[in-house]
Amino acid sequence: MAEVLHVALRELFGKRRVRRLRAGGQIPAVLYGHGKESVSLSLPTTEFSMAIRRGTRLVELTGGTTDTALIREVQWDPFGVEVLHADLVRVSADESIETPLSIELRGRAPGTTQGGVVELLAHEVVVECPVTAIPEKLELNINTLELGQSLTAAELVLPPGAKLVTAEDQVLAQCIVPFTEEEEDEPEAADISEPEVIGRKEEEEEA
Amino acid sequence: MALMPKRVKHRKFQRGRIKGKATRGNRVSFGDFGLQTLEGGWISAQTIEAGRIAAQQYVRGEGRLYIRIFPHKSVSSTPLETRMGKGKGEPDYWAAVVKPGTVLYEVGGVSEEAARICFARLAHKMPVRCRLLKRRSA
Repeated sequence: MAEVLHVALRELFGKRRVRRLRAGGQIPAVLYGHGKESVSLSLPTTEFSMAIRRGTRLVELTGGTTDTALIREVQWDPFGVEVLHADLVRVSADESIETPLSIELRGRAPGTTQGGVVELLAHEVVVECPVTAIPEKLELNINTLELGQSLTAAELVLPPGAKLVTAEDQVLAQCIVPFTEEEEDEPEAADISEPEVIGRKEEEEEA
Repeated sequence: MALMPKRVKHRKFQRGRIKGKATRGNRVSFGDFGLQTLEGGWISAQTIEAGRIAAQQYVRGEGRLYIRIFPHKSVSSTPLETRMGKGKGEPDYWAAVVKPGTVLYEVGGVSEEAARICFARLAHKMPVRCRLLKRRSA
């Protein structure tokens, strides 16, 4: 189910005006795709933030323009708190698109009872999926993961009609023996108080 | 042994100025939770190591800790009771220069509760104000 966003056409450009727009509770956005002209929009911050928090990807635009769009990219401030800008791409209901999806581990690996830890090696995979069936995240069941074993992308549960774009043999999670302190600490040469200065030896030899 | 570079081009550095916010290294990239600094500053190699030790005991045997900063800058100092002049002091310690927004540490494979406890302990060691940051889904 797509969320409804009340958008307005934007005629304010440039950082000063856009900053004022943000201060007024709006987010600048752009809508493009399907060979049509790109349109500059402004979205209500609260509505958009709520949609992002719910993990929504597909949105229904009303107001300044009427379209179905996919949230393609969101720009955040350096602290990752406020949304600065959003890229929306036009999509139709019968279309399939490639999109990255997060992976969530489900279950408890038997390997952890044997002293192993589960390590997630890839946090997302790319999936080709009908726009109406894009899930928030993909689940990877680790109930069969023994110590020393790994799970690949082929073991993901995909939504109906979805196809994996990432290589099927890509390892996503593994159960390994955790590193111990002794293994982590590399044997270091005794008494290294200062790093080597590049070019210093050559200079001294020349002198 | 505290962290320091293996090879450097120059032994001594100028102090420099920390301007702006972090536009790189400000997202959780390896683990599930990160410790993000809200202030700029220098974090010494000794402090980074102290943080690692403080955090390690909470993730040992369960998750994994990632250190996202490295002390690239040498900080020099002149000994006490030294007369003026005689040039710049000798390198004293190594420090990482961080801008507001930089992710200092990350943990993966632990619950949010465990990560919160771990980072609360770790943040006490840091000379800058910090906050917990979660990984943002794709």
